[in-house]
Amino acid sequence: MSETPSLCRFRRVSKWYGAVIALNDVSFALRPGITGLVGPNGAGKSTLIKLLTGQLRPSLGEVRVQDVSAWSAAARSYIGYCPDADAFYEEMSGRAFVRFMARLRGYRRNDAHERSEAALQQVEMTDRADRKLGSYSKGMRQRIKLAQAIVHDPDVVVLDEPLNGVDPVGRAQLVRVFRQLADAGKAILISSHILDEMDTLADQVMFICRGRMLASGTLEEIREMLEDHPLKVRINAKSPRELAGQMLRLNAVRGVQLEPPQSLLLEVERPGEFFPELARLAAKEDYEIEKLEVVDASTEAVFDYLLRQAGQ
Amino acid sequence: MSAEESQETRNEGKQQVIQADTSIWRGGLSGSICLAVVSFRRLFRSRQTIVSAMLLGFAVMVALAWSMRRGRTPEEFISQILIPVYTSFLLPIFCLCYATASIAAEREEQTLTYLLLSPLPRPLVYVAKYCSSLALALLWTMGGLILLCQVVGDPGQRTLAIVWPTVMASTFAYVGLFHLFGVMFRRATIVGFAYALFLENFVGSMPGIVKRVAVSFYTECMIFDSAAIFGLGPAGHHDEAMYLPISAAAAMPALWLIAAATLLAGIVFFSRHEYSGTS
Repeated sequence: MSETPSLCRFRRVSKWYGAVIALNDVSFALRPGITGLVGPNGAGKSTLIKLLTGQLRPSLGEVRVQDVSAWSAAARSYIGYCPDADAFYEEMSGRAFVRFMARLRGYRRNDAHERSEAALQQVEMTDRADRKLGSYSKGMRQRIKLAQAIVHDPDVVVLDEPLNGVDPVGRAQLVRVFRQLADAGKAILISSHILDEMDTLADQVMFICRGRMLASGTLEEIREMLEDHPLKVRINAKSPRELAGQMLRLNAVRGVQLEPPQSLLLEVERPGEFFPELARLAAKEDYEIEKLEVVDASTEAVFDYLLRQAGQ
Repeated sequence: MSAEESQETRNEGKQQVIQADTSIWRGGLSGSICLAVVSFRRLFRSRQTIVSAMLLGFAVMVALAWSMRRGRTPEEFISQILIPVYTSFLLPIFCLCYATASIAAEREEQTLTYLLLSPLPRPLVYVAKYCSSLALALLWTMGGLILLCQVVGDPGQRTLAIVWPTVMASTFAYVGLFHLFGVMFRRATIVGFAYALFLENFVGSMPGIVKRVAVSFYTECMIFDSAAIFGLGPAGHHDEAMYLPISAAAAMPALWLIAAATLLAGIVFFSRHEYSGTS
């Protein structure tokens, strides 16, 4: 992953409004693929997005998109932005709106037509694009917002809560579009408060809280960094009672819960110590372990843990 | 990499940046023309047009009623209708309606984000919006003046020939000023309205040179100067000794200077300002 060139980069970026620090010494690089931006309200997500899209200038540090300052007009050619706000030129049709956005990006009439049709096709709105925006459902409005964001084929697409208010079928379609864009080598930054979405959607996750970047990377990488993060591990074995007794002897295991008929749920304090011990036991005794799974490795669990740590 | 190669790479990089800048300005020109056209259409179909039409309709009725009495003179038309009803009230209101709404409405409706996110250089966005509101304001101020002068008959027609350059210059000055308000203040329409009614009329009527901050002062000076052929000059509360008028030769450049300075200030402010809460 580290060999892939970054499409945009935050270098020690801080942003404050008066005495309030919105973003504090944040550094990261966006690479092709889907990156989830996760954080509670007031964490600094919006500020980060506004800095990336050139709506704000950093108080300290620099934000560069394809090696040009994000504040410059040139950088905006590389960025597509799907805002959170449900704002449109309501009197326009979806098609006219996307075409207008293409014209604003400097395309001539014919090029703008071609590009807007391609973008509408990508979000599967071609047949419904002639209706007035005011008559669209929330899901259709989200698609039109996405279409205007990708109409100029940008390298970086920033999506602020793109799945808000979209029905499950629409979600699946939009997620497919995000994946297509990522597969085409684009960097997709998705800000979302629905953490479950990130488990399946994001290749990487950035956790942000109180203006600071708590962690970033793939969920597995972040988990590995958090050696002392307690884990819940479910084991299916032929003789769960005997295995439970052995598990309780391990220092890294805090608690064991039997889940009949053949499962037990372990609360593990130090995963780094636990897994080698378990492997040793499994090799020594014949417990016939059929399945082992970490049940709380989700984005939400990791994020909860990080938040608790940040609070302390 | 040798020093020569790295120098070559740097030069290529600079070349690319220059090319990118050039294409942005070239593409920006067609983008800003499109923006100006769309903005014009949106402003024309807005409630500002209804308000302007109602105000002009009311002014026309007042002028019609005024013209019922026989023997009206251009001097009377200027002092009783043109200055109090048109240049002091309608003219700034027409400009205010469109110039403050131009960017402030986009900000209020949160659609400004789309414009700020486009690769159009911000000065071009500002100029495009300015042009659309200026065109509409000119349509109303010049059209309104022609209509008003026509309905009152001869005194109006004789007045029209001498005051239209003043009205045009004032429109440019007011649009520049209110457009600047639109990018500077969150509630630009209220600020602009307070300015038009309070500062322009109150400060514009104060004795001494304080009134020189008001656009209406220069407008009136030009009207007095050009209407001297009808024997009109500052009188009553416009007593010359108190009013201290300036000549049209000085007032006209002052109006154009205000127009240019406010346009420039608006461009600079809009280009540098961070619209963090476009909501």
